[in-house]
Amino acid sequence: MVPFGGWDMPLNYRDGTIAEHQACRSGAVVFDVSHLGTVRVTGDGAFAALQWAFTNDLNRIAPGKAQYTHLLDADDASVLDDIIVWWVDEDRFDVMPNASNTDRVVNALSEGPLVPEITDVTTNRAVLAIQGPDARERLAAVSAEAAAVGRFAVARVEIDGIPVVVAGTGYTGEDGVEIAVPAGAAPALWQRVLAAGITPAGLGARDTLRLEAGLPLHGHELGPGISPLQAGLGWVVRFDKGEFRGSAALAEERDRGPHRLLRGLLVEGRRPPREGQRVLLDGTEIGVVSSGNFSPVRGQGVALAFLDPAIADGAAVVIDVRGTEVAATVTKPPFHR
Amino acid sequence: MNVPEGLRYSSDHEWVQVDGDSARIGITDYAQDALGDVVYIDLPSTGTSVDAGSTFGEVESTKSVSDLFAPVSGEVVAVNDELADAPERLNTDPYGDGWICTIKMSDAMQLDGLLDAAGYTALIDG
Repeated sequence: MVPFGGWDMPLNYRDGTIAEHQACRSGAVVFDVSHLGTVRVTGDGAFAALQWAFTNDLNRIAPGKAQYTHLLDADDASVLDDIIVWWVDEDRFDVMPNASNTDRVVNALSEGPLVPEITDVTTNRAVLAIQGPDARERLAAVSAEAAAVGRFAVARVEIDGIPVVVAGTGYTGEDGVEIAVPAGAAPALWQRVLAAGITPAGLGARDTLRLEAGLPLHGHELGPGISPLQAGLGWVVRFDKGEFRGSAALAEERDRGPHRLLRGLLVEGRRPPREGQRVLLDGTEIGVVSSGNFSPVRGQGVALAFLDPAIADGAAVVIDVRGTEVAATVTKPPFHR
Repeated sequence: MNVPEGLRYSSDHEWVQVDGDSARIGITDYAQDALGDVVYIDLPSTGTSVDAGSTFGEVESTKSVSDLFAPVSGEVVAVNDELADAPERLNTDPYGDGWICTIKMSDAMQLDGLLDAAGYTALIDG
């Protein structure tokens, strides 16, 4: 167990990070992701408050759908948090920020003229993420209804008479669902999921899976000084919906062009790059690694790095790994397919 | 944790198997468990001179990087090159196929500064 954002979380279960990683790519795993916050936003002002606080446009989806979005710093358009919104009912949104960013989200949602009802329900529920190519098939033995919730769909379902909310979302690059279950009923559901042949997986595999899939982690690829445009996530931002928190600062950056861009690095050999290591082209520093590790699927080191935007895909670069120059190629993630 | 009798142990969680003036070296079961899945090892080259307590390589797992410290001084005379492509052997068989290198000792008296199985067990249980 390791401390993580105020929670004690398992780094891995019995078989270890790499076995759990491979199980997610080839079978099905379950993560306990209760550390994600859940902020319930309801009432008349809910829709408008979310439209103002976040970058994406809820008009592109509808009740019963989920959307990935960002909360920006109002002054410099840094990504204060990246969030999944579950639009559960017409006037109920379950907003899921990262472990430690819940307060920022609550504050931002309270800024508009019409403040909705905002309740932090994080401690009332657990969230299980069931992911992998076989996730739906195996979960169907527990609940066919839950297993059938489509990609980025959100549905209320009963499992053994317990009301849960299921969303077709995840953080691994694989298909799967996430289930929000009342905390008291979570241990029994966890056991039923394991009994269906789904492998428990910990934080270690969660990180190597998201890295291999090229998905950003707040504090590494997103955070103070990093805008959605620098992170290559311009699709999360909908300038055409009208003004939103941070939109003016972000529009300025859009117009002059971001000074760095998040890219993938594929290492020659197994050595894992690590956060903070310098990336060089012909002896000149062109950027810094934001996350790096070993890719179990490729059998190679992989990294995400913020690089000079002029660098082309396919460029041969070196990473300064504690004084050793490790050769790598600039590439477009994901790395696992 | 498995701590075989008949080996010497360093407080840096390496084991030493002594045969005359040669010392075969690896990491302990406790060390591999603490590291987690090993994905890369930076091995020393044959012919390298090492000093007891100095760094002679690196081990990287999915969660961290750790230095390897020479438990004795001498010259590296054999290296387990198979670890380059199969570093997971440090996890699966730390006292066998996961051996790292053999050092020809320049000062066998240094062995007296290492722990026996009982002493090492006390260290990791402490």
